[in-house]
Formats: sequence, C-alpha cells, structure tokens
Amino acid sequence: MSAILAQADYPALMSAPTLFHYLVVSAFMFGLGLVGFLTRRNLIIMFLCTELMFQAAGLALVAFSRFHLNHTGETFVIFVLTVAAAEAAMALALVVLLFRRKETLDAERWEEMRG
Amino acid sequence: MDLSSYLPILLLITMAVVFAVANISLTLALGPSRQGPVKGTTYESGMDPFGTARKRFNVRFYLIAMVFLVFDIEIIFLYPWAVAFPNLQAGTTESWVWLGRILFFLLTTVVAYVYGYRKGVFRFD
Amino acid sequence: MIQKIQSLWPEIVLFATACVVMVVGISPSVAVRRSCGVIAGLGLALAGLVAIDWPGPASSVVWPALAPYVKVLVAGVGVLLLLVLAGLPDREYEAAVAHGQRYDPIRANRAEFYAFFLFSIMGVMLVSGAEDLIWLFLALELTSLPTYIMVAISSSRNRSLEAGVKYFFLGALGAALFLYGFALLYGATGSTNLETIRQVIAQQRLGSEAVNGVALAGALLAVIGVGFKIAAVPMHFYTADVYQGAASPVTAFLAFVPKTAGFVALILLLTTIGWGYGPSGQSLPEPIRTVLWVIAAMTMTVGNVLAVVQSSVKRVLAYSSIAHSGYMLVGLVAGPGPAGAPFARNGIAAILFYLLCYGVMNLGAFAVMASLERRSRSGATEEADSIDDLRGLCTTRPMLGWIMVVSAVGLLGMPPLLGFFGKLPLFTSGIGAGEIPLVVVLGINSAIAAYYYLRLAALALLEDPDVTPVGGGLSENAPPGRKFAGFICAAAVIGLSALAWPLINLADGAAKYEPRLTPGSAVSAREAPIVPSADALTEPRAASGRP
Repeated sequence: MSAILAQADYPALMSAPTLFHYLVVSAFMFGLGLVGFLTRRNLIIMFLCTELMFQAAGLALVAFSRFHLNHTGETFVIFVLTVAAAEAAMALALVVLLFRRKETLDAERWEEMRG
Repeated sequence: MDLSSYLPILLLITMAVVFAVANISLTLALGPSRQGPVKGTTYESGMDPFGTARKRFNVRFYLIAMVFLVFDIEIIFLYPWAVAFPNLQAGTTESWVWLGRILFFLLTTVVAYVYGYRKGVFRFD
Repeated sequence: MIQKIQSLWPEIVLFATACVVMVVGISPSVAVRRSCGVIAGLGLALAGLVAIDWPGPASSVVWPALAPYVKVLVAGVGVLLLLVLAGLPDREYEAAVAHGQRYDPIRANRAEFYAFFLFSIMGVMLVSGAEDLIWLFLALELTSLPTYIMVAISSSRNRSLEAGVKYFFLGALGAALFLYGFALLYGATGSTNLETIRQVIAQQRLGSEAVNGVALAGALLAVIGVGFKIAAVPMHFYTADVYQGAASPVTAFLAFVPKTAGFVALILLLTTIGWGYGPSGQSLPEPIRTVLWVIAAMTMTVGNVLAVVQSSVKRVLAYSSIAHSGYMLVGLVAGPGPAGAPFARNGIAAILFYLLCYGVMNLGAFAVMASLERRSRSGATEEADSIDDLRGLCTTRPMLGWIMVVSAVGLLGMPPLLGFFGKLPLFTSGIGAGEIPLVVVLGINSAIAAYYYLRLAALALLEDPDVTPVGGGLSENAPPGRKFAGFICAAAVIGLSALAWPLINLADGAAKYEPRLTPGSAVSAREAPIVPSADALTEPRAASGRP
C-alpha cells in the first residue's frame, strides 16, 4: 500500500508539477478572487469571488501538506470546506432575503446608508 | 510501475459500464415500444412543464438545501475518522475516547435536527 | 487531550446553553419562549464562574494566563451586553402574536438570536485558548459568522439587512485573507501548532537577522485579514454603515466581541513571529513593525477625523471604535518588552486592560442610545440616532443623560475615570519601546477625540432640551434592562478607576510573557521552505501515512 502513496519519488520527473506550480496557481486564484471581489457589483459574483479565495488557500494548504509530508494541511482543508459551506448557506440566505425585499442584487443600489 | 492495485478501480468502472449498457440494451430489446400524446410529453407521468425556467422557486427549497448541506458536510468528517478508527486496539481506553468523540460530533447534528424539526423545516403544508 | 478539555469547561457550558436556547426559543408557548434570554444569561454567568474557578492548564506556552483572563472578561461584559440585547429580537412579531396572529416558528428569530450571541462569545473564548492555526481559524469564524446574522435580524428595517449583507461580504473577504495567511504560515514552517511555528521561526532565524519570507508574508496577510475584526484601516470601510444599520444593542455587541477576538488573535499570531527583533531586540521584525505602525497611525487618524464630522451618534461611536482599535494597536507595536517587564512597559497587558475599559465605557454609551426611541412624523417608532436627540438629556432624562456624560468623558480618557487608566499604559508602553513618533500620533489623536466626545457630553449636560423636536419627540419604551446595564457601566467607569490597580495587576498577570526556545524539540529547523532539501522530500515525517 505504501508504494502507491509514493511519497518517496515525488519530485522524480522534471516535468511533474512541483510545489512552485501549485503555489502559482493558488496565488492566481487568490488574486482573481480579490480583483473580482473589488470590481464586481453583483452580490452572487462577489460571493463566488470570496469562495475562489477560500479555495485558493485550500489549494495552497494541500500543496504545502504534500511538500511537508504531513497531513495537517489536508485536515485544515476539510475544516476550510466546512466553513465555506457555512458561509455559503449564510450568503444565500442573506442574498435571498435582500432580493425579496429589493428585487435587485446590485450593490450600487443600496440607498439606505450613505456616508 | 505497479498497476495491480488499480485493479479494483478498473473492475468498478467495468461493472458500471456493463450495468448501464446492459440496462439500456435490455430495455430496448425486451420493452414494449408504444407512441402516443402522453408518451411525447417532456416528463412522462410527471408534472406538466409550464412557464419559463427562470421562474422563482418556493423559498422552502432553500431550507431543504440547507438541511442537505448539514448532513453533507457532516459526512466529510466521518471519513477520516473511519479511516483511523480500525487501527486502534479494540477495547482500549483510547478507542472508547475515539468512539465518544464521534458520537458527540453526531450529537451536534441531532441538536441541529431537533431545531430544524421544531422550526418546521420538514413541514410541507 | 483530557487536560485540554479541562480548560474548555466554559465553552462546553456555553455550547450546552446555546443548544438549549435554540430549541427552547421556538417553543409555541410565550412563557417558555421568553425564558430563553434568562437561560442564556444564566449559562453565560455560569461559564464566567467556571472560567474563574477552573482555569485549567495553560493552553499557550508563551501566554500561560491569557485565556482565563479573556474568558472571564468576555463573560462579564457579555452578561451586560445580554442585558442590553434582551427584548430586541422579535419585538414586533411578538406584539403581532399577542394580537392574535398564529405563531409560526419559522418567522421568529428569538432562538437564533440568543444562540448566536452565545456562539459568538464562545468563539472569543476559543480564540483565547487557541494553540493551533486550524483552531484559531475556526474560532475566529465562530465569532464572526453569528454576528452577520445578528446584524441582519436585529431589526425589521431594510437598513439592518443591508448592513448584515455588507458586514458579511467584507467579513468573508477578511476571512479569506487571513486564511491565506495561515496557509502561508503553515507552508513556511510545516506545522499548524502555534508553539511549533514559533520554535521553527526562531530556529530558522538563528544566525541571520532576517525572518523567513513566506512566514512574514503569511503573518502580514493574517494581520490584515484579522484587521477586519478590529476595524483596522484597510478593512474598516464597513464599520460606520454596519454600526448604524444594526440596532443599537447589536452595535454595542459588534464593538466589543469581534474586537476582543481580533486582538487576542493578533496577539497569538504575532507571538509566533515574536518580539525579538530590531536594535533593542524587543520589537517585531521590521516589515511587520512598519505595517503595524502605519495601520495603527492610519486607524487612529481616520477614525477620529471622520468621527468629528458625523451627525449620527452611532456613526460617531463607530468611528471612535475604529480610533480605539488604533490606540490598542500601539500596544501591539510596543510588544511585551523584556521578560519580567513592569506593567508600564508591557503593551500586551495594556491591550488586555484597555479591552476591559473600552468594553465597559462603550457599552454605557450604546445602552443610552438603545434605551431611547423617537417617534417619527408618520407615527412609527425608530431608533434615536441623531446627535440632536441627546440635547438636554440630563434635564429630561437625568439617568440616561448622566450615563452618556460619564461614558463619553470616560472614552475620552479624562483623568479620574477608567478610560484614563486604560490609555496611560498604552502611552507608557509605547514610550518604553521607543516608539516616540507613534506615541505623538496617539497624543494628537486623543486631542482630536476630545472634540467629539466633549460635544456628546456637552449636548447632554449643558444644552437646553429641544422644545420643538422634529416628529413626535423621544420616548423610552425599551426594556428596562438596557438602562440598568447602562447604569452598571457608568458606575464601573467611575468605580473601577478606584480599583484600577488590582485590575491592572490582573491584566499584567494575564500578559505574562514567557518565550522560551527549546532547541531540537521535535522540530527540525529548515532554512527556507521553498528550497526543497533532500531529506525533507524523501523522509516521511510524523503522521505521514499509517501502514
């Protein structure tokens, strides 16, 4: 069984993805999420962007976990998924409630509070 | 590279493909084939499709989705526990502590269930 | 493991109470429903007593006494908060039910409101006992997630819902930022245990002055992300709108509970980096120190300058809440000083004490706002929020007026009151750490703050009551618990200043700093995380796969 886990020959091939590749993808995902969050005005899209950032962190955790050869990072990811699910439930509840009252999800259309 | 340990997966895929293909071909071969107006509806013996797909759903579906989410996420935590539990010596204090932990964890879901039940999430009137 | 559970008794009590409240609060009987506020209060008080009596083993090696202090603090202020919050949820709905409408549990919010309150407090307690990044992440989220819903359901106005949505989205952004920071910290050190991270970073540093770059980036992201909880500058945009949009009692809650969690989390996170750098060997590494310095200065200045121009009391208090976070960040920049440093030098002790002072003073001010209602022209009641509502309050409603005066003057930091004793250690620790420019900024900001706090006090104390108010004038229909809580807070602002030294000693004991470096303690130091060393990649380490 331990042969399948194949931890020992992880960086054997030069073409195989290394930690660096995973981190670059993760950083791109995080950056995309951040930029999307700051520029988009639709609440659902904004929520998806925060979700993208969460998953970027998850990817980095799994990659680091593989790099350090311990399971802590993977454990962390399970908890991150749980929290992400809780946030999704909450976001949808708030967004549904808001839509029922206002019939729009445009963040620019909040007229109640102005600075 | 030793591929023999992937054999069960191959077997599983084969079984899935054979089952699906066999079902469809057996239906085509053995089943009666009739045509009619009822047969031609979108969902045979289901509801009539009406309106656009963008019509709003009852918000109660949202509650059901949330209840599903609770159990869905709960399952994730059972897997690592189930993987680790058989490695413990049976009857030791440690194994009982592990069992206690997962039971406590499941208890929290029971609380969520009781709350959801009393809140009326499972009432469809 | 069993030892760890012993230190969690307050949280266990709160969790059990929250479960009971969640089920009891949706009972079809009014009397049973009403009892859930009382149950929540009893549970909270019990949790506080358990935290005093049974502190359990130290959870953090570096801060052995931090967790019990924070738990007792948050339970104590939590009981006062609950007094202010009581009667808030479902007020209109219960009135409708009393007039014969059928009770439908799905329309009621009472159970969730009290349960979420308890969960949030539980989150702060768990933050204080965190010894692992995963734990810290979950605890921080447990603190924040309930608050989003509490804001949204705090009143039936659209404004509360909008505030809740805004708070949620910025909160999710903050959570994503500090989660990525945690991931980088884990990547840099190979562990999520805070103590192990500290040891690894300290050992990686041996022989060179520089800190591991990935760990540094992670810590910076984490600091900015957690900055959302304390409303520090890059993440402060939500504060005024959310504080204004939420009902006043919930605003009081927001100003204390997430902020406490945020500061305790920041203390724990920065401990992993350690205050062992700089020329004196007692400050944070230069990049983090600079960023925190700028955040502190900006937070104070932005908060105070914007507070001056507001005409809504809740917005004034919101911006002042930002400013107070800035003050407390000075203590974080100053750090705990050398081992065995006196209280005056220990910035962490200053923060812990200031959290107590700020919680009490701020709650006093919000209790006054929560007790007042104004009848608008259309006949609907709304919260009193305009600064004109305070005019002549000492004449018309002496008790509320004086609570406001005492709280405002206390927040300002006037010498005989509690706020002064809170602010003084921040100054002295800053000076002791050699952060003179930052202390000057702190002084200037305190002067700016004097303007708007004195305006609040003077309006209530000196002005004549508004003879022809817009709309129908003020009324006071709120539950009496709010006034009572406000009275206790005002009494504490005066009375605790006499007890300031014992309390300061408590905070000092809680901030006892014991950094030790145990060489070779189950942690193999590696130079840099990105450069793979041969043995790190080939040798399976702890927990890497069971047979």
